[in-house]
Amino acid sequence: METTSILPLLILISSLIPGTLIMLLREDQVPLRTFLNLLGAVAKVGLVGWVFAGYMRGEEYSFIFNLALDLTFALRVDQLGLFFAALSSVLWLVTTLYAIGYLEGGQHRRRFFAFFSFCVTASTGIALSGNVVTFFIFYEFLTLSTYPLVVHRGTDKAVEAGRTYLWYTIGGGTVLFLGVVGLFVTAGPIYFGQTEIIEGLISTHSTQLTILFFIMLTGLAVKAAIFPLHGWLPVSMVAPAPVSALLHAVAVVKAGAFGIVRLVYDVYGIRIADQMNLLTPLAIFAAFTIVYGSVRALFQDDFKKRLAFSTVSQLSYIALGVAIVGFLSTTGAVVHLVHQGIMKITMFFAAGNIAETYGYSKISQLNGIGRRMPLTMGAFTIAVFGMIGLPPVAGFVSKWYLGLGAVEAGSYWVVLVLLASSALNAAYFLPIVYRAWFCEPDQEAVPLLSSGRLETKALLLIPVVVTGLLSLAAGVFAAVAGSPLSIAREIAEKLYMP
Amino acid sequence: MIWFLTIVLPLLAAILAASLPAGRRWTGLIFVSATMPALWLGLVEVSGVSAQWFLLEGHFSLDTPRRIILLLTGILWAAAGLFTGSYLKDDARRGEFSFYFGAAMAGNFGLLISAEVASFYTFFALMTFSSYGLVIHTRTPSARQAARIYVVMAIIGELFLITALYLAVQSSGSMLLADIPPALAEAPNGPFIFLLGLIGFGVKVGAIPLYFWLPLAHPAAPAPASAVLSGAMIKAGLVGWMHLAPVGLVEWSSMSLLMVSLGFAAALGAAIYGLTQVDPKTNLAYSSISQMGVMTVLLGIGLYGGIPAGLLLPAIALYAFNHGTAKALLFMGTALPAKIGGSWRILMWAGLGIGVLAIAGGPLTGGLWTKYLVKTFLGESSLPGAKTFLLLLTLSAVTTTLLLSRFLHLLHKIKAPSGNVSPAFLLPWVLLLLAGGWWTMSPALLPTELMSYITKEKGIMAFFWNLFTNWSALWPITTGAIVMAFTLKFAFFNRWPAKKPLLPPGDFLHIIIMLGNLFAKLLQKAISLLDSGMKSLQGPEKIFYRLSDDKRTSQISASAESLLRRWEFAGIGFFIFFLTLFLLLR
Repeated sequence: METTSILPLLILISSLIPGTLIMLLREDQVPLRTFLNLLGAVAKVGLVGWVFAGYMRGEEYSFIFNLALDLTFALRVDQLGLFFAALSSVLWLVTTLYAIGYLEGGQHRRRFFAFFSFCVTASTGIALSGNVVTFFIFYEFLTLSTYPLVVHRGTDKAVEAGRTYLWYTIGGGTVLFLGVVGLFVTAGPIYFGQTEIIEGLISTHSTQLTILFFIMLTGLAVKAAIFPLHGWLPVSMVAPAPVSALLHAVAVVKAGAFGIVRLVYDVYGIRIADQMNLLTPLAIFAAFTIVYGSVRALFQDDFKKRLAFSTVSQLSYIALGVAIVGFLSTTGAVVHLVHQGIMKITMFFAAGNIAETYGYSKISQLNGIGRRMPLTMGAFTIAVFGMIGLPPVAGFVSKWYLGLGAVEAGSYWVVLVLLASSALNAAYFLPIVYRAWFCEPDQEAVPLLSSGRLETKALLLIPVVVTGLLSLAAGVFAAVAGSPLSIAREIAEKLYMP
Repeated sequence: MIWFLTIVLPLLAAILAASLPAGRRWTGLIFVSATMPALWLGLVEVSGVSAQWFLLEGHFSLDTPRRIILLLTGILWAAAGLFTGSYLKDDARRGEFSFYFGAAMAGNFGLLISAEVASFYTFFALMTFSSYGLVIHTRTPSARQAARIYVVMAIIGELFLITALYLAVQSSGSMLLADIPPALAEAPNGPFIFLLGLIGFGVKVGAIPLYFWLPLAHPAAPAPASAVLSGAMIKAGLVGWMHLAPVGLVEWSSMSLLMVSLGFAAALGAAIYGLTQVDPKTNLAYSSISQMGVMTVLLGIGLYGGIPAGLLLPAIALYAFNHGTAKALLFMGTALPAKIGGSWRILMWAGLGIGVLAIAGGPLTGGLWTKYLVKTFLGESSLPGAKTFLLLLTLSAVTTTLLLSRFLHLLHKIKAPSGNVSPAFLLPWVLLLLAGGWWTMSPALLPTELMSYITKEKGIMAFFWNLFTNWSALWPITTGAIVMAFTLKFAFFNRWPAKKPLLPPGDFLHIIIMLGNLFAKLLQKAISLLDSGMKSLQGPEKIFYRLSDDKRTSQISASAESLLRRWEFAGIGFFIFFLTLFLLLR
């Protein structure tokens, strides 16, 4: 039934091989390492683009290998997976550039870039997994390959954060493992999209399936940072800026959110999940997390910590959209996977640039920074307006669909949650914008970097400008074919086809 | 093409003018040329376009009322842009101002030509948030406070607005703005949706009780920015209302009465409160609230039923046109007395006088036209208490005259410069005077339907004749002027505040702030309590910390870490793992 293709595997290998090779290089082989990194990143974007074009022509790509009886390792390309893979690969390319600039002259760069590559291998693996078991393998691989990145600086604080991170994610992984095994025992191997399997078992195994759903959801919720399992996220912002950017935009948290999307839409199926009333608890937790994260963000003076709590809040938009049944809210949830990614990565890049260039990490130090770093703060400001949900930035499109979806489903309380979140987002982000553009600097700041004519190093500046413009373009050109929104709409349409 | 230029040119102008080196004089010309497409669309009927690629599929078109307002907006931005060139020539933050000015201009034009919800909301937001930069421009503590209150109120407005739009789009099933009023007329929750919009746009309009940011923010901006804020941008809220209101389709008597009463409360209350002020610009801001009240009344009449939208909405737009041009004239005029000397001052006073007359509805100005329209609609509506309302309308002419003659008196106190004239200041102002005068006096803007409605069988000449000999419009204005002259002349009656305002601008904002501070104190206490509670507990997430703080667990994880720390080991491990996988898979 399937045509086997090596292409999905190649997508993974394009970052795995450079990662492994980098591990075998010496620390001082900088040009070769950089070359490998960029080669892998560009190759990955190219391959994903290639597969995308093929998929649009109607070709199917899958790669299936039997690990043991009934236990298959399957990579399969579907629209949702490609959507996530495209996000990962594009943002990885940008972040690689950023990381090269950021870590210039730093220590342990070999280790860093190797695991950086593994991390992306894992997240594209998650995107392209064809069944639950493969998903789980990559999910755990991701946990292990990000740990070295979190503790990269090697300070006590970093190691402690790494420990917290491991406790949470390994714990979550264990719970997920239980769920995956349970599901395997109950329903056999399930490929994504085969919702008829669960549908067939629903009459006989209703209780088991309900319990399994919540076990797996709990496991996934750790990475998706849903309250009360979000504690690791604000702590692990001690990681270097490119890591935080990747962690908060594509890799870890997105893996959790993407897992929830897969679980509800492609394992249980939205109709069954709705019938069994599995979604209401998810909606409630997600809604609470949205408000809770925003309230906590209000009280942080540390720039990256405020961003981290904002991620906690914004991620739950995805879960909330999944939990509401309807074409519009599904579109909102799926498109927010990408929109949140590009906006949040812009913010972390900006925070990293400021910290690298002037050494500021507190929001109270940011007075007048807009004058000195206009491009960085310009991109940041765009992202802020997106987070609040103001048009024409990407975040508006997500929020528009989520809000309309909530009204369509008659869940008016969700609209109130969205409004509260918008107001809180404004309350904790606009003061940063205000300080940057409308306050006079307290003291004459001397840049730590001699950056020549640009406001900071070119390799730090280009990524933030690119992702800032992407956030804007994803909103302004939302109706164009090929935009994140148009793909999300197609995904949702297929899901709700009778 | 022209539709896109309308939006794109101001944006380009924003960037271009902001990057001009100091001392160049081009700013004014750049802004004027950026308004050309908008002026063209205001004058010439062009069929609408759709932009499939823009946002959630954009549509741009105009109808009669919005075209009138677009013309007004174009004229005001052109005049203010030209004025900016000379007014801010030596300002250190000229570049920044130009940026926000251009962006707000793009937003203002964009929202007027948008025919569908998403782009309308986009440009509305663009205008709202760009004008923050105009309000805060001087960076004085009072401007900062005004800007803060402005942005808080703007966000509250946006939240109400987006809710109204969610519900409206859901009930109409279409993104087109034109589909909303019929859908609201049908929907059972139509009045509720309209009420949300009434609040959301009411912030911008300065409707009671949402206006208190306005007397702070409008005067805080530099004169040309105040002119567009109070003349053009304030009308954006009105346009929003007109997009939602199912005029002629429904009989929402309580909603109608609510709007009419709030409108009259604003028309009279704001004018009277404004009398206690000493800053001419604050004075004008209160006058704006008062005039927007009259427009609120007009729209409110429409919701009572009986008057078709084709008549009422253009009439409201005409009223807005007249008020907008005159108000911008006066706001820019506040910058003149300190700059204009010699015999040019005669021209200045004459222009200011015409502006005041036009707002008060005096003869020989466009104001009479528009006041006449209000009277006609109010007189013919079946609204209960229409007679009383007519009386209130006349009374509002008296209070407006009082307020604005006091404004003239306040301007009068500003010393004339000893040097000579700078015509650069007078040119845009005179152009605005002429443009505003021409279009409000001639019936060029009137749609034929409305024209025949008001002239009845008498014909246009008789109507004109009546208009210029309508002395009944004169007595309220004369009364107001005489009272003001009298109180100023005789020291015993002259109790007008001279240095400090009798009551603080922003009136009941101060009560809100007082209550807010109290609430904030309580909240702070609660939060600090909660915080100390959190510190001892840290919620469920602390369980993990406790586990990880435990000695034994830390030992275990430390040894695990030391193992993992051998990166070479880990890297090679990964490599071997995937190599075997790969070989097996082959």
